[in-house]
Amino acid sequence: MAIRGGRPAARAGRPPATAYRLSWRILDALEAVAARWPARAEGAVKWLLLAPALAVVGLLVFGLVVMADASLRVMDFRTYQLGEDYSTANYVRLFGWGAFHATLWRSLVATLLVTLFCLLLAFPYAYALTRTASARLRRVLLVGLFLPFFVGQVVRAYGWLVILGQQGLVNQALGLVGLGPYRLLFSYPTVLFGLVQYMLPFAVLMLAPALAAIPEEIERAAASCGASRGRTLLRVVLPMARPGLIAAALVVATLTLTDFAMPAILGGGTNDFLANLVHDQFFRTSNAGLGSAIALVLTLLGTTVAGLLLAAAGVGALGLRGAR
Amino acid sequence: MAVGVAARPTVPRADTAPAVEATGLGRRYGEVWALEEASFRLERGQFLTVLGPSGSGKSTLLKLIAGFERPDRGHVRLFGAEVDAVPPHRRPIGMVFQRLALFPHMTAAGNVAFPLEMRRFDPREIPARVERFLKLVRLEGLGGRRPHELSGGQQQRVAIARALVFEPELLLLDEPLASLDVRLKEEMQLEFRRIQRELGVTTINVTHDQREALVLSDRVIVMAGGRILQEGDPETVWRDPAHPFVARFLGVGTMLRGRAEAGPVLRIGERLLPGRAPNPATAPRPGQPAVAALRAERVRIAPADGADGDGTRLAERLAGRVEDAVFEGERVLYELSVPELAGLRLRAIDRDPGGHARYRPGAPVSVQWSPDDLLLFDASLETGSDP
Repeated sequence: MAIRGGRPAARAGRPPATAYRLSWRILDALEAVAARWPARAEGAVKWLLLAPALAVVGLLVFGLVVMADASLRVMDFRTYQLGEDYSTANYVRLFGWGAFHATLWRSLVATLLVTLFCLLLAFPYAYALTRTASARLRRVLLVGLFLPFFVGQVVRAYGWLVILGQQGLVNQALGLVGLGPYRLLFSYPTVLFGLVQYMLPFAVLMLAPALAAIPEEIERAAASCGASRGRTLLRVVLPMARPGLIAAALVVATLTLTDFAMPAILGGGTNDFLANLVHDQFFRTSNAGLGSAIALVLTLLGTTVAGLLLAAAGVGALGLRGAR
Repeated sequence: MAVGVAARPTVPRADTAPAVEATGLGRRYGEVWALEEASFRLERGQFLTVLGPSGSGKSTLLKLIAGFERPDRGHVRLFGAEVDAVPPHRRPIGMVFQRLALFPHMTAAGNVAFPLEMRRFDPREIPARVERFLKLVRLEGLGGRRPHELSGGQQQRVAIARALVFEPELLLLDEPLASLDVRLKEEMQLEFRRIQRELGVTTINVTHDQREALVLSDRVIVMAGGRILQEGDPETVWRDPAHPFVARFLGVGTMLRGRAEAGPVLRIGERLLPGRAPNPATAPRPGQPAVAALRAERVRIAPADGADGDGTRLAERLAGRVEDAVFEGERVLYELSVPELAGLRLRAIDRDPGGHARYRPGAPVSVQWSPDDLLLFDASLETGSDP
């Protein structure tokens, strides 16, 4: 921030302002503005800086309120308008709807399994990434980590169609040795597989900084205390990596629970998640009321999963407070 | 060694064998030999300091002894047994690390108990033993604190207790005092000395602090460029450095360059300065370039026209001029220029600044020293092992 109470006095022989780099002049201008900022309003600065983010979150909340409103109205299929009166009919219907229950459980179980598998697979990857002495191996692992981000989720799902389809690469290869064709697509395991494959980079990305923050000296210290590699992992590395594990689980779990594309494409309608159900209500049966109700249940579930994870670990476990 | 099956030394002992025996140890990173050749023996119960600048190979040597890395050549024997294939967690070694490496998710007592659990001590015996060692490092009552709730010195003590609690046969110290301020450092040095004597554990300390090496050790190894330059007891290393690098690293004062003549004598221009060669292997050959180390605290300064000091055998007097005089409390450090030695700047330390006259910058003085304090070496040794 600029020195308050005036600009430096113009002196004779001072070079013209244009003699300075443009970036300097822009900063000078900004500081001149900042210098006029009243001292009493200092506290408002942080809120000003937060404002854009708060506006975005506020819009989301607004959307939720609109949705909650819609979920409490029943769709009139003669006019395709939501009814005027509030009722809990949509929720009552969900409660007794078998397909909804099945979808709900399918989503929850998938969330649990995908999160577990992702953590299991991401840990060694992140460990190798942060511990390898070979610069080449680290580069390969980094490329492997970021490459999937360049390929969108939908493209990747279609890629699996090409590989796993009835005429796909796998079945063609199996055909060469006289096997198959097998039906590999449109099953729950395939959806889970696609999800794990999609979420893995996120998990590695969340885990790697936590593992990098554990000094190698700590592992040597454990060895000098008599701990084998396995015990060092269990007693020292895993507990110290907890913030990263929680963060990774949080990201993977919430993304999986609300995923749409993988079940839609790899499940082909046979293994829908809640998001697919929402989509169907809005765009197939045009029942915005029921769709909103499912969407709210989904939001609530996601919040609960995140809340449970954080409660289990303590909010401090994310390590956001900074080192003291 | 203590009770518990796995607590027994995992290396079979031959009671007469030295604690550590390194033969021709070498370790390479890519094309560079971080440690070229190291051979030494350390008897049981001794305190050895490996002294050297960063990059001298001293930390690599320690890693090879601890087992964190495998030697590319040579062997390590601990208590008579070859340990090249023994992983670090099976070696009877306790270690204090440079950045301490305390486990942040455990209490101080948890940290100290960890090696006991890992080495399968009787669980009923662990609390008492932890308490005993916390007491040994004067941390009674602080066992329940986490490392970040302890001061730097207290963390240091936890690290020491953790390294010693299972009564290892060998203690390795990897510059654990490097990051402490001077006062705390000196305090901890005395603490190490006390504990090491109390337990009689064989110790290898790695440091770049020459004072620490002299204060703590029974034996000193000076390393540079991946090699051992000298091994001996602290006094010998201090008095008779075997290599110009050792002389310089121990903080000698001034290095003079010239040619050697028989005697040995150092010739600078027309001036002949008699000296002594502390080690025949590194002595300069007559006619060849030579380098000489002159101890700052042995250089005497007298008024330019004044009388000689006492009657000890001194080399000829040289005329000089005080360039700078730095008052450091218990001593005064002089920088002197001596025109006859091609304008060379000499360092001289006056340890008794209150006892006699001080010299101001610009004052003409006469400078003299005993030939015993001018240590001559072959100048070709200086290249290659420069700090």
